[in-house]
Amino acid sequence: MKQILLKILRDSNKWSIILLTIVLFVSIPILSIAINALNGPGESWDHIVHNMLPNYLKNSFWLVFGTSMLTLFFGISSAWIVSRYQIPFAKQLQWLLILPLAIPSYITAYAYAGFFDYAGFFEKITGLRVDIMNIYGLIFILSISLYPYVFVASRAFFVNQSNNIIEASKILGASERKTFFKLILPLARPAFIGGLILVIMEVLNDYGAAKYYGINTFTTGVFRAWFSLEEPETAIYLSVILLVTILLFIILEKKQRKNTAYFNSVKNHTEVRKLELSKKWRYILLFVAILPFLLGFIIPLLQLLFWAFLTYKDVFTTSFFTIALQSLSISLVSAVCTVSFALIFIYASKWNRLQFLKSFEKIGVLGYAIPGAVIAVGILIPSLFLDKSIVMFFKNNLDIKIGFLINGTVLILIYAFIIRYLAVAYSPIEASSLKLNNTLVDASKLLGKSNVFTFFKIELPILKPAILSGCILVFVDVMKELPLTLILKPYHINTLAVKAYEYASDELIAEAALPSLFIILTGILPIVFLNRLISKS
Amino acid sequence: MNNPILQLKKLTKTFSKGKVKALNEISFSLSKGKILALVGESGSGKTTLIRIITGLETQNNGSVVFKNNILSSNKIFIEPEKRNIGMVFQEYALFPHFTVFDNIAFGISKNKKERVTEVLDLVALEGFEKRFPHELSGGQQQRVALARALAPKPELLILDEPFSNLDVILRQQLRSDIKEILKKTNTTAIFVTHDIKDALKISDEILVLQKGNLLQYGNTDEVFKNPNCEYVSLLFDAYKI
Repeated sequence: MKQILLKILRDSNKWSIILLTIVLFVSIPILSIAINALNGPGESWDHIVHNMLPNYLKNSFWLVFGTSMLTLFFGISSAWIVSRYQIPFAKQLQWLLILPLAIPSYITAYAYAGFFDYAGFFEKITGLRVDIMNIYGLIFILSISLYPYVFVASRAFFVNQSNNIIEASKILGASERKTFFKLILPLARPAFIGGLILVIMEVLNDYGAAKYYGINTFTTGVFRAWFSLEEPETAIYLSVILLVTILLFIILEKKQRKNTAYFNSVKNHTEVRKLELSKKWRYILLFVAILPFLLGFIIPLLQLLFWAFLTYKDVFTTSFFTIALQSLSISLVSAVCTVSFALIFIYASKWNRLQFLKSFEKIGVLGYAIPGAVIAVGILIPSLFLDKSIVMFFKNNLDIKIGFLINGTVLILIYAFIIRYLAVAYSPIEASSLKLNNTLVDASKLLGKSNVFTFFKIELPILKPAILSGCILVFVDVMKELPLTLILKPYHINTLAVKAYEYASDELIAEAALPSLFIILTGILPIVFLNRLISKS
Repeated sequence: MNNPILQLKKLTKTFSKGKVKALNEISFSLSKGKILALVGESGSGKTTLIRIITGLETQNNGSVVFKNNILSSNKIFIEPEKRNIGMVFQEYALFPHFTVFDNIAFGISKNKKERVTEVLDLVALEGFEKRFPHELSGGQQQRVALARALAPKPELLILDEPFSNLDVILRQQLRSDIKEILKKTNTTAIFVTHDIKDALKISDEILVLQKGNLLQYGNTDEVFKNPNCEYVSLLFDAYKI
């Protein structure tokens, strides 16, 4: 025991303390939910359990199940077609098919509500009326918004898949269909399940689309418990259920990740050779591949452009500019803070010499898996407590009346964004730092330079593209974010996402188009930029 | 042994929660100005040993004493940047975004220009200051790496398989050059290699490792003439053939 303590003392340095502080900082929402859950549920809990919980469970289950099936279909089919067959625009489709990610699902939901509405484009063109404002409609919306996660993961696998396997299958007499279903699909399973887990987390995080379509889910339940019932305890209980579900998915993902070894073991890669097709099949497959892009990007975009054309005179005002500026500033500051935080986190963990502390590293990436509404609740509880304590302290000891210092400020909102999107910045930077030749760092240290000096002189210039990628990704995510912003934003500050949501909630759906288009534009530019950056590197 | 500059005392290192023993109670002393060849096949513990000496890794037990100061033990750990131990890496580890001058000047705080010119002269690379690493041949990169390691005047220099990426002719040339430079600068050095020929040509002393155990340590000629076990004998047999 004494030996262990001596070694802990020997190996602990200032970075161990910094790492522990960061871990604590990031864990606050989860810890506060866990601690407060021990206080018991609110008065309405019994009512919720008997009347609403079954509905939340049923809807959330069907949303997850239905969206999973449809995203798998859209994502895998389009990825396989663009990777395996010679079809027109295959090169462009590789990145066009990612573009639906630039449109937040709640905006796609608004656009389709209008598209299928009475006298909407769909009715005008076909003469038919389709009611989309139900759970099936929501499954469709979430699927066409989120399939790119499965597409990207599957395509990465299909492109890196060794052609030898396909050729061996062909030589053994298997048809194209059998090769795909018996060989390629089972081999690709770990890849597309990785993408699917992200889809599921996004479905469970969704608030805007579910709220607009009137579907009660766990996330809308957390909102209702907090704002309508004014029962934080009940919101906490619902959050705990949601958290446990998410943790189960994380465990599932870890388990399936372990299985990835078998598809990495394929050596002597030869690129998958693209098959030529007859004219008829070329256009059929082009249609199948392009369909998710049309549904997930073009149709909502056209609908929004149409609305924007109708409403721009009313919406394009000075206050719109103010909101756009506030949105951009909050996103930019959050992106810079999150990336800086991710860098400190990664390097504190690297420079800390206590091995057991390194396992805490993974806590940093948990935030992305936790729905925004849950993070918001987890932050509000301790910050309200802290604020009340400060107010009481000033009142009792100094006889000074002050207002809340933390709640209702941009500071708390940015803190929440850091926790929610730390993983988004962390992943590309960590991946690049792992790829970085460690001997360069060792060489610098042995030439007498400190960790920090080595970082700025040697590592930072090499990590720049990854840092920029992390910054852009967080920026786009914050621009789109809704549930967390709705709960935590200061009352005098607004974002484009919240503005679009407010318009839609007030039945001014056409007016929501302009802020939505602005969000989409800020999402597309970075995707194009990142695509170029990746192509260059 | 007179005036040892480096002493290792019962150094033990395990990995995978103690399941893999990389070093097993390694002890030896090295005198100032001597060149020690650390010999062993892949997985023998050579790299782990030098990483512990430089401070890039911590041991589980034992201690490293340098100039009568404890660098690392169960209680003490001195950071690598404070040890004044230089190293030439197997892959050279030249900073790709720095010129030759900036690479060499990186570890120097005073009189940079004079010192860079001096060490470039030593490695016969005068006039290469403004070039970038990718503009140099393998042999030139190796010389720059050596110059960079020598520039801060380290009290101990470790050369980790410095010839492994070079062709045979260049290897022979550099082998004698490096020995000459180390002797001229009176630098104490540990030369890590799995090639017994390199070890015999360069070193004053030799230490043979196998699976984390020290098999034999002593004067190079004596060890060559009197191997104490079959493994060491076989190592030299390959050279004799």
